Amino acid sequence: MSAVRRPDADLKLAGQATYGTDLDAPGMLWAALVLAPGPRGRLRSVDLSAARALPGVVAVGASDVPALAGRGERDAERPLFADAQVVYPNQPLAAVAAPTLERARAAVRAVRVDLAAEPAVTDLEAIFPEWPGSGAASSPHVAAHVHARRGDVDAAFGSADRVVRETYRTASVHQVALEPHACLAEADGTTWRVRTSTQSPFGVREDLSSLLGVPESSIVVDGTWVGGGFGGKGASFLEPYALLLARASGRPVKLALTYREEFLLGRTTLPSVIRLDTAVAGGRIAARRVRLLLDVGTSLPGRDFATGYSIGFLLGPYQTPAFEVEGYAVRTNKPAFGPHRAPFAPQCAFALESHLEEVAHQVGADPGQFRADHLWVEGGTTAMGQPVAGFGIPAALAQARATAARWRAEAPAGHGVGIGLGFWSTGAGAGGETRVVLSERGLTILEGEREIGSGSVVVGLAAVAAERTGLPRERVHVEYGDTARAPFDSGVYGSRTVAALGGAVDEACRSLLATLAQRLGATVPVRLEVDAEQLVAVAGSSHRPVSELLTPEELRAGGLSADGKHYGRSGAIDESIVLDGTFYAFTDFSGAVHVAEVAVDVETGGVTVVRYAAFQDVGRTVDRASAHAQVEGAVVMGLGTALTEEAIWRDDGRLANPGLLDYRIPTLTEVPPIEVTFVEGYPGAGPSGAKGIGEPPIIPVPATIAAAVRAASGAHVTDLPLTGERVARALKRG
Amino acid sequence: MSAFELIVPATAEEAVAALRAAAGDGVAALAGGTDLLLDLEDGRVTARRVVSLRRLPWRTLDWNGPTLTIGSTLPLRRLELDPEVRAGFPGLYDAVRAVGGPALRHRATVGGNLGRSAPASDLVPVLLTLDAEVELIGAHGSRGVALDRFLVGSRRTTLAAGELIRAVRLPERRPSAYLWQRVRPSNDISQIAVATAYSPTRRTWHVAIGGVAPRPVLVPEAAGALGGGRPTDDAVRRAREAVRRHAPVTADKRGSEEYRRHLAGVLLDRAVATTLARFA
Repeated sequence: MSAVRRPDADLKLAGQATYGTDLDAPGMLWAALVLAPGPRGRLRSVDLSAARALPGVVAVGASDVPALAGRGERDAERPLFADAQVVYPNQPLAAVAAPTLERARAAVRAVRVDLAAEPAVTDLEAIFPEWPGSGAASSPHVAAHVHARRGDVDAAFGSADRVVRETYRTASVHQVALEPHACLAEADGTTWRVRTSTQSPFGVREDLSSLLGVPESSIVVDGTWVGGGFGGKGASFLEPYALLLARASGRPVKLALTYREEFLLGRTTLPSVIRLDTAVAGGRIAARRVRLLLDVGTSLPGRDFATGYSIGFLLGPYQTPAFEVEGYAVRTNKPAFGPHRAPFAPQCAFALESHLEEVAHQVGADPGQFRADHLWVEGGTTAMGQPVAGFGIPAALAQARATAARWRAEAPAGHGVGIGLGFWSTGAGAGGETRVVLSERGLTILEGEREIGSGSVVVGLAAVAAERTGLPRERVHVEYGDTARAPFDSGVYGSRTVAALGGAVDEACRSLLATLAQRLGATVPVRLEVDAEQLVAVAGSSHRPVSELLTPEELRAGGLSADGKHYGRSGAIDESIVLDGTFYAFTDFSGAVHVAEVAVDVETGGVTVVRYAAFQDVGRTVDRASAHAQVEGAVVMGLGTALTEEAIWRDDGRLANPGLLDYRIPTLTEVPPIEVTFVEGYPGAGPSGAKGIGEPPIIPVPATIAAAVRAASGAHVTDLPLTGERVARALKRG
Repeated sequence: MSAFELIVPATAEEAVAALRAAAGDGVAALAGGTDLLLDLEDGRVTARRVVSLRRLPWRTLDWNGPTLTIGSTLPLRRLELDPEVRAGFPGLYDAVRAVGGPALRHRATVGGNLGRSAPASDLVPVLLTLDAEVELIGAHGSRGVALDRFLVGSRRTTLAAGELIRAVRLPERRPSAYLWQRVRPSNDISQIAVATAYSPTRRTWHVAIGGVAPRPVLVPEAAGALGGGRPTDDAVRRAREAVRRHAPVTADKRGSEEYRRHLAGVLLDRAVATTLARFA
């Protein structure tokens, strides 16, 4: 594999890249948050006077916000500080800043909080011990309800040869980005300015506007290098607190979470209960009932996206003639549900794929063949009635099955080989714009987005521009600007950077080349080349140095600029099936099929992953080394979701394991050799058919490990993660 | 972490004097720091003075006939890499390898491990089966205490104010083994751990269990069931049953009581088999 040297590598290796946690300014104060001492209760008082009495300490509570941020309208449903009621553990009550971090923490300790504790509601199944009855949709516990039906489901179940009914449970998983959330705020004059480690500077600006009640035009957000996001750094989080303290103190204020606070406050994927019933007739799936209870913590009613989006993944990319799907987003006294690399899709794939293994097992079919027999077909429609196009999963499955067959033949006793499939749709629907500038030295892409570590910005966008223009990669640079300077973009999330923002870069480059063609008087496409260190525009047999094609004004202004935008298309589902709530269409058809070989200790239940193979439908590979790294990284992260990662919420609403000692991500010792294969030729929404790569490769991992564990030991585990204890229990159950 | 004064004495006398001078004022002895610094950072331990033991000449490994004396500030990595230690106390080698990764073992020490008395210590179960004696030094000289008496509970020992652990003495080489189960195989705290050793001179088995609160303990019922010498299959079955029944296992966030008792039996079986395979 030939690797392109990452343009940010030297900076990062030398420790010169400024991450959020590195931010520093002269005269800066350090901030800390005052957190609620219990998960739920009536807040009688928050007394900041003792904190304020400490030298140099500034403190801000709920009642101070209007004086600092003005009388603009603030989002009443998302107060920055708990006011009358505490609704989740460690909810912020106030924020303090001091000349040193130690004094800021002393100030936090000096705050007197009077909370009349009430019992926390934390367990989904305690709220709804049976499936929610009619009228549950209007329960205060329900943030969203989605319901859809297609075909005569009752009849299909009534006439089935066999019905398989199962319940799956999944755990809360955390993003565990290496870098904690961190920002540095300044409030001068009427401007609110914040530098922050974020996946979406423009998203933060929008959020800040509604949280603080100030216009977007008065807010400037500047991204830093991001030490991992994985969905956890999408929305605004610490920025408003730092900004209010900056306004109150007149000084720059830095706020960074400790790693313990990351766990306590993080927006994570929360637990779920998934019930799947499948009716089989003549060896084929005749109908399915899907029922989902998703814990969304304190997510707001009507703002839940996860339930309506996820439930499609519980039908999966399989033909299902009749189905009924119903999901409840259930509110509990936990922090709000937040995205975690392919939000909730690995959990859905685990449940569905494990269920399909069980169905295949019961009807005596080969699980791989059973899947292949039911996959959607190119040109057909999805279960929800959307046309299927660019669907590479069947090809990936065929390759995965061949590998699985070979590994099975080689596997010693006690080992097992399993296959798992994960379907995804790139977040290419969200919009973005960009500007490219051609100088006599090279091409610059101006971005508000920062590189979050995946390479999608520094490598991916540069590769798209290099491909389109013909320039070598080292002549393409990404320049970062704050939200006042850079063109708008939605953010680095949803695997959309290359697939969506790449489309904007591609369009900007086309526009640039068109201008050059005009100036060259060319009728054939223009390409850029480097000839003896000089940039040259070439069209057929005619060529001229770029320096001669730019006007003096352009040369003075830094070059010839062109804009591009990508406001992605989105498909549509058959709305006639919807009974309640909102379902979402797929923008493109991505996914992966994985194979794992594991060894299971049948006495202890311990699982060792021996080797792993990933077959990724990538549409088209834009940068092989980066894509490869994304697949490897996602598999490793998925192994954590599969085997060890679990935020343990106690009955009293507190998190039992807020740290890396007991919240166990895989270490290098647990990582097996990983083979990566790209399946190309099934185009997606991105430049020249590229699909997003950041999220899909995590989706099949828990399902794949579960299938391999079952093959190795017979243990059919229905709860994530597959700890030794759960495997041993399943073995005992037999 | 709150600020503290760091004192780095050059001799045992100075170290003891520094500890005594600060007694009652919040003082902690620092060896490798792999455990203490975390507790200082998180505020579980508050100390205004920290006495570093790094200049003391205690990074030693001395043999006297069959007896091994391990200096308290000897890094675990040195024990791990010593072929004679591995041959004479294979269970101790297993246990040392269970502690963190190589980088951490370059810092972590035997004395720190015992002095901090962590419930999940990987070294303590094995040292209990080896009849380890802890040598303490204080203002009034030295004293030796059996490890089982030295440890009181979680983070509690019989170490007096102003006293330090100078060394740990193992009276004789013993075939031994240490096995553990964790949610994550590496870099984790054991859900349950079992140590077994056989004394060829006394013809006795020794069984200890770790990962149970508040401190690792000997399980004499299981050791007794194994009898003297090479146990029969039936004796191993009875020992397995004894450890399951008598080990002070409770449920916590690392596992249910039922599962941990089950593991104790499984691991005892395997530890005995491993120990037998290590008979000379």
